[in-house]
Amino acid sequence: METDISGVSRARVSVLPSAEITTTLRPETERPRCASTPCSPIRGTVTGYQILHMDSNYLVGFTTGEELLKTAHKWSDGTAEKGSGTEAVSSSTQSTISKSVDLGIHRSSRILKAKSRSYQPYDVPSANGRRRRRMPSCCDTIHRSFAPSEPGRALHASLPLCLLKGKRAQSKSLDYLNLDKISIKQSSDTEVLQYQLQHLNLRGERVFTRKKT
Amino acid sequence: MKVQQGCNSSDMGVPVTTEEELRRNPAITPDDVLGLQKITKNYLCSPEENVHMIDFTRFKIRDMETGTVLFEITKPPTPAGGKKQCDPNAGRFVRYQFTPAFLQLRQVGATVEFTVGDTPINNFRMIERHYFRDQLLKSFDFEFGFCMPSSKNTCEHIYEFPPLSEEIMREMILHPYETQSDSFYFVDNKLVMHNKADYSYSGGP
Repeated sequence: METDISGVSRARVSVLPSAEITTTLRPETERPRCASTPCSPIRGTVTGYQILHMDSNYLVGFTTGEELLKTAHKWSDGTAEKGSGTEAVSSSTQSTISKSVDLGIHRSSRILKAKSRSYQPYDVPSANGRRRRRMPSCCDTIHRSFAPSEPGRALHASLPLCLLKGKRAQSKSLDYLNLDKISIKQSSDTEVLQYQLQHLNLRGERVFTRKKT
Repeated sequence: MKVQQGCNSSDMGVPVTTEEELRRNPAITPDDVLGLQKITKNYLCSPEENVHMIDFTRFKIRDMETGTVLFEITKPPTPAGGKKQCDPNAGRFVRYQFTPAFLQLRQVGATVEFTVGDTPINNFRMIERHYFRDQLLKSFDFEFGFCMPSSKNTCEHIYEFPPLSEEIMREMILHPYETQSDSFYFVDNKLVMHNKADYSYSGGP
């Protein structure tokens, strides 16, 4: 297979300077949007990268391991920025594991509670003084729990194993996350809790799904 | 720029391997990773093993049927003595949040631009394996060929997605980030880079 080789020595690429991390992405202005569709962020910057294009019909989020670790670090420090779209569930340390499990339980219970109130993620303007119920659209599917209004939350749902275990590989340790204080046994607990958390969320989704049908 | 169809390595006749076994090998070859039956828990090489200084600077994917560009990203060059990552592995992992519509695509072209160090690269090859919950969905095998020293190169690979049952698509949508991939890069049949990614298909438009 031939590869096009420019033969040009590496030159500084003329690109816009990469901005700081923004987990909340801005919507594309030309996207058509119906009344029931919230703003869907589709473009932005991620640590070390600049997103030039993202078609929200197919892709709504992109992030890197560095971004995920920074979010996990924020949680471990207890300095999570609320309301910035990074209220992520991370489990990089034991303290964050407990927090993430709590969040998972809270999230599933919130889904159940919302369901009983004829859950509608978006406010529908009232008519004649009465609140209108949003009619389910053809796009309401079983994955409603990943509300479009929370792409940051879904994107940062859980740390991948390769980042949690990266300490054991040849790479530098995640010392700044105090992971070295977690013993091998504890890291197994981490995996168990992460697994349980995922299933907690899934149980919430399944119940929600059954109710919809 | 040449476009290459990815060949679906059926792994016929390739001995089954495990991550633990491969870690004992002094060097990891393409046949080694073709025998892996599930996503690796850890990276199979360190970032330092990228002795050829291969650096991906731009990436774009498009739907081959319509030509629609789905995603394009660029990485500005890091200045000398620039900010070092807290964890080198963090730079080898990415996460995608796709919509369910992505699973309907049949052919996706992935254009990658990369630079190489000051040594020539022979037989640059990538094997990428996609799994859903430790079930191999498809293995892609692309060759970049020879790269001149200190060059910037562009290549497009065509991913032919495997037909997926409604059930498995539903499961993939229901369980975000349980679809994962390992991308192994080889020079002269020796593993030099290993990147990882995971995927969600539950994103809404």
